[in-house]
This record gives sequence, C-alpha cells and structure tokens, in this order.
Amino acid sequence: MSALPLGEDDGGGRYPGFSTLAQARHWDRVTASVVQSRMTLPPDIRFFTPAEEAAARTLFDLLLDQHDEPRVPVVNMVDARLAEEQTDGWHYGNMPRDGEAWRATLAALDSEAGSRGGCSFALLDPEHQAALLQDVCDLQQELWHGLPADRVWSLWTRYACTAFYSHPLAWDEIGFAGPAYPRGYKNLGVDRLEPFEVRDIRPGADPTRRTGP
Amino acid sequence: MSTLRSRNESAWLLPAGPGSNLLLREDMRRFRHEEEVDIVIVGCGAGGATLLQRLSRAGWRAVALEAGPFWEPEQDWVSDEAGSHHLYWTEPRVITGKDPVPLGSNNSGRGVGGSMVHFAGYTPRFHPSDFRTWSEDGVGADWPLEYAELREFYEDIEGELPVAGEHWPWGDPHSYPHRPHPVSGNGELFLRGANACGITARVGPVAIANGRFGNRPHCIYRGFCLQGCKVNAKASPLITHVPDALAHGAEIRADSMATRVGFDEHTGLATGVEYVHGGLRRFQRARMVAVAGYSIETPRLLLNSTSPRFPDGMCNDFDQVGRYLMVQGAPQTAGRFQAEVRMWKAPPPEVSTEEFYETDPGKPYKRGFSIQTVSPLPITWAEHVAAQGHWGPALRRHMSDYPHWACLGALCEFLPLEGNRVTLAEETDRNGIPVACFTYSQCDNDRRLMSAAQKVMEQILTAAGAEEVITINRYAHLVGGARMAAGERDGVVDRNLRSFAVPNLLVTDGSVLPTQGSANPALTIMALAARAARVLIRGARKGAPASEKED
Repeated sequence: MSALPLGEDDGGGRYPGFSTLAQARHWDRVTASVVQSRMTLPPDIRFFTPAEEAAARTLFDLLLDQHDEPRVPVVNMVDARLAEEQTDGWHYGNMPRDGEAWRATLAALDSEAGSRGGCSFALLDPEHQAALLQDVCDLQQELWHGLPADRVWSLWTRYACTAFYSHPLAWDEIGFAGPAYPRGYKNLGVDRLEPFEVRDIRPGADPTRRTGP
Repeated sequence: MSTLRSRNESAWLLPAGPGSNLLLREDMRRFRHEEEVDIVIVGCGAGGATLLQRLSRAGWRAVALEAGPFWEPEQDWVSDEAGSHHLYWTEPRVITGKDPVPLGSNNSGRGVGGSMVHFAGYTPRFHPSDFRTWSEDGVGADWPLEYAELREFYEDIEGELPVAGEHWPWGDPHSYPHRPHPVSGNGELFLRGANACGITARVGPVAIANGRFGNRPHCIYRGFCLQGCKVNAKASPLITHVPDALAHGAEIRADSMATRVGFDEHTGLATGVEYVHGGLRRFQRARMVAVAGYSIETPRLLLNSTSPRFPDGMCNDFDQVGRYLMVQGAPQTAGRFQAEVRMWKAPPPEVSTEEFYETDPGKPYKRGFSIQTVSPLPITWAEHVAAQGHWGPALRRHMSDYPHWACLGALCEFLPLEGNRVTLAEETDRNGIPVACFTYSQCDNDRRLMSAAQKVMEQILTAAGAEEVITINRYAHLVGGARMAAGERDGVVDRNLRSFAVPNLLVTDGSVLPTQGSANPALTIMALAARAARVLIRGARKGAPASEKED
C-alpha cells in the first residue's frame, strides 16, 4: 500500500508513516469491509458514455490534482453513484436532476473546449484545461451553457470531494485517523494524540499563508 | 430513577452493550389492515416514536408507518462518512427561491429513529421568549402555548434521553440529569476563546449518556455521532422510545411509505392511512391519525390527500399547509491553530453558548443566534475548503492541514415567512405521487443574523489563538410547514396538535413549530409529542369517534 503522490510543497509527507488502514484490525467488521472495499478494483464504468468518461476523468484529475499513479479512482466512484442513483435526491429548480446535470455539464466542457481549442476537453492542453475550469469557477451566479455556474461548480466539487476524501489513502495525507469503533479515543484535547496517530512534521505549513491556485 | 423507568423502560430493554433487542422485534404485535386500530402514526422519528411509546404504554392499539428501514445499528451503520448515505432521505425533491435550501443530508432522516439517528446530539430547550416573539419583539409569531406548559415534558424527555451538560444559565435556568462530558481540542478552544472574550460558554447539552444508563453504555468518544451511534450512547428514538413502545404492544411497519390520509366525506373524519409496502398499496384503518413526517413530507402528504371536501389538500382550507417553513442559518467558522486540534476526535457536539439568543435592543436585528462546536469529518471539511474557491493543488494542500483546524457553528433564528413553503411539484416519485417543491428566501433580519454570528465566531476563535479563519454559509434543521396557532386562519393545528379541520387528525412533528429560536429542535419536538400524548390519554380519546369495535 503506497501513498498517493503529493509533493512536499503541496502538503505531501506531513504525517510520515501514518496509515489509517494499519488500524483496520481495531474496526468493526462492517465498517472495515466498507472502507477496505475502496482499495479493491473499482467498478466498471456503467453510467458515463465513453466521451463523458473522458471529460469526467480529466475534470476529476484537475479538481483533485491527481496526475500520477496510484490514484483514487474518482471517475469510477462517481459513475457508480450515478448508475445506482445514489444521489441526495433534491435538485435546484433551475438545474436538472444530478445524473442529467452531469451529462449536460460534461458535454458543455467538450463544447467549450471545442470552441476554444478545436478538440474535446480531454485533449485540450493542461494549461487551457485549468484555465477553462477557473473561468467556470469565477462565473459565480452567471449562466454557463444555460446552467448557473455556481451550481455546476458545486455539483462537480461535491461529487469529486465525496469520492476522494472517502478513500483511506487520502486520509493518510491529511492525518485523519479514520473509523474509531469499537476502540474510541482516550486522549482528548489540544495536541493530545493517540499512540497510533502521527504528529504533523510541518505544523507551520499554514496553507492560508500561500498564494496561487 | 424508578419514576423514569416506570415511564419509559427502553434503556433497560436493550441488550447490555451495543446492539438491538431483536426478540422484541420478532415478537412485535401485528394488527390486521381491516382492524380499526386506535391510531396510525406516519413517521417514526422524534415526534412519531415519542407519541407511539406514550400511547401504547397507555394501552392504545397503535401502528407506526415508517418509510425507511428498521435499523440494526451493528450491521447497518458504519463509522464512515460516505458509507452513511442511506441514513438520509434521498427521494426526489425540488428546491427553489432566492436562497434555496439543499436537503437530503443534515436536515433529513429516514428509517426508525428518524433524523435523530444522525443528529449531532444537541438537545437545548427553547427559551420562554420563543413562545411569544410577536408580542415581545414584533417578529415571528406567538405560540398558542406557553413555555411553562412544556417544562415538565422537557424534564421528562431530558431524563429519558438522557441529557448531559453543565447547569444551564440561559432561558429558564435548569440542570441536566447527567454530568457534562470531557471535551476534546475543539471544545477546549471554544471555552478558551469565549473566556478570553468575556462570553459565557457551557459544556452541553447533549443527548449522550455520561455513564451507564440502563443497559446503554458510556460514550467512547469516537466522533461519528453524525453517522449513527453504534455504541448506543447517543439518543435516538430507535433506542430511547421504540423498545418500550414494542414492549407495550405497538407495531412498527418499516419500509412503508404513506401516500394518502383516508377521509370520510360523510363524517368529516380521517379513516386511516394509505401506504405502499413492497410495491403494494395498502390501507390501515384507524380511529385517529397522526402525521409525523417532518416539515417537508408532512405538508406533502396533506397536500396530496385531496378529496371533494379538501380539493386543495387536507386541512388546507386557509392555504396554511406547507407555509412558514423555517431553516436556521447555520454558518460555520473554522480557525487555524499552530497546535493540533484533531477536531474529529470526540462527539462534534460539546460546548455551546446561548448568550446571543434573545433580542438585543442595541443591535440592528431582532432575535439572535447560538454558537456550538461542530467537527466536520474529511468529506464535509473538504466542502469548507472548496467553498473558499480552492481546487486542484490548493485543495490538497489545505486539506493536508486538517488536524490544525477547530470549527464552530452558529444557529441563527430565521423568521417564519409566509412565502417559505412546500408546494407540490410536477415531478412524481416512483409511486407516482407528486414530490415536494420547497421554496426559500431569506429576509434582511436573517442575513444580519448570519453576519453577526460569523463575527462572534471569528472573535472567539481569534481570541483562542487562531491565525486564520474561514467561513462557510449553510443551513440546518427544518421546522414549521403545518404550524400550531390559536385559530384556523393562522395555522393547521391547535395547541394540542389536533388539526382544526379534521378532529381526529393530528400533526406531531417539527412542522407544528410557529418559531424556532436558535435551538436544535429535537428535544422540543419530543416534548410537544409527549404533551399531545398526555392530552389524548387524559380523555381527549373520548372525543375520538366511537368505533364499532370499541373495546
């Protein structure tokens, strides 16, 4: 089990040797199987068409800065949710239901890339891909391809973050201890760690003090 | 303790340690559909389950219909955020308005126990002023009920959950049956910051046993309260009221979605409830009906229950059904500390202040807000970070800093507004029933409260030593939508939760609240249901229509 690739400047390696999964023997059986299943072969793509899959893959890699292996299979995880209609149910009056919204916005990414670079979103060069996403992010409440841009942005980031930060390898890089039943915690309080927790080796690396995307 | 146990034996009916009393479920009494039971209750959450327990203990033949499953926590719940999606109500709904309110997670529940299964656990009482905001502050509405009439029910429910906390100096000052819990890094920083600002903050009040309670174990501080408590330490009706109800002959039909309240044009009375179970449409006859589906589904069910007498929905003669629905503005402000806070350790609900709860004549807004610790887990925390506009490398970098952040949440008393309501959408669910459309727009007072609460949270965190603060604007809780009022033109039910239009139809959930204060609503919903049950048991049953099978 290796760590997700993340450079030191990007917050990588702050909790050296920490592994949430190493604690799995202390978890209840049901929780352990749910979490460990995320380490296994991800489900095949069922919801996205090949063109949508390509756009979605690119979108998630950019949103979550995943460019090397191993990576959290976010596109498969989101696809599975949509195929199983495991959505939150509600939708904004000016947005379609989630599944439909995904198809529409992925098509819009391709169409936008087409008019900017004459190719699909996945084939656009990385710099222009990122610029396109930042433009959608900056539009706020304005319409983007007929849909409110802030709702589109929220749809993308919500699904992306829910998938990525449900993965135990992502927990390792943020120091999160993961499931805690039936063991619980005994050391509560500021700067009090459990024996298995690993202290941040760069506590001064306050990300809010930096600029840039 | 003997009084408590003779009122509600649930905690002693559970197995010692985690788990459920499966024998109680296997041996559950089952009524026939054609049998006219005393009452059928729609929804088995805070309001429905409390009413069910009280009435069945008094000998009523009571059936509860619950749209979701009958949980077995050891098997059905996990210590995992993404794996807990099934705890929420995720049926289709449409949200509109100037400030649409996302649903389907923190403000919804399904299954036996309702949303208390995944509520944080805060159980503050409402303040006496909440019951007369119109008279005192010129905003909101007066309740047809006074605080003093609810006090003994608050005390009863606080004993049954049970609630742990320090002596409470706000509202009607009172104490709690269990001692305050120890606090984690997050609570410690709140207390430190509040103290430095001269703001009083207290530990509690949380519905988490501190020490063994009946057969229920002590909290183990694992921090997954919002994913359902596998320990059985945190209260939900599944463990606080359902076991006693089953032991007294109540029936709970899980996976049963109510679609319509039956109505007899001749008598003007409700006749029972139509529901779908396993794809089949069923009808349970009953002498009385109580709807407890919460603020979205209760109005939806009434609006969908049309008849020649009620062409616009049951009890909707004066266009009151679905109106005055409220959410609380719930901004959350997080602060960055050099030290490690590790806020996910220990229950998110720890410390709160109600110092800003009531109207301050010196402020440009009416009513107020409370502030409480909240402790977002990684997926929710990523929402905080993404809301700052971070994505890509910036998102990962900020997330790697997770152990250094503490987080507070406010509950702002948004006012009841006529236009904030549930209507029926054109969209239908898989049973072919029109889904709810929920429209929400804030007023100026609401917005002022949100920014005032944010400033106080920033002040507390900064005083505690935070280097940076970030805020996310969000909403919490739902109440109103079928409110109680003094008369039929201003609401749907009276002070005893009986509908004005149909004498044998009650609404016993959060939708009856005319105002919401800055308090989490669960305790008040349970207290109101317990009070309504008392009224029914003490004789109002005589007012119910005579049954041919009266026993």
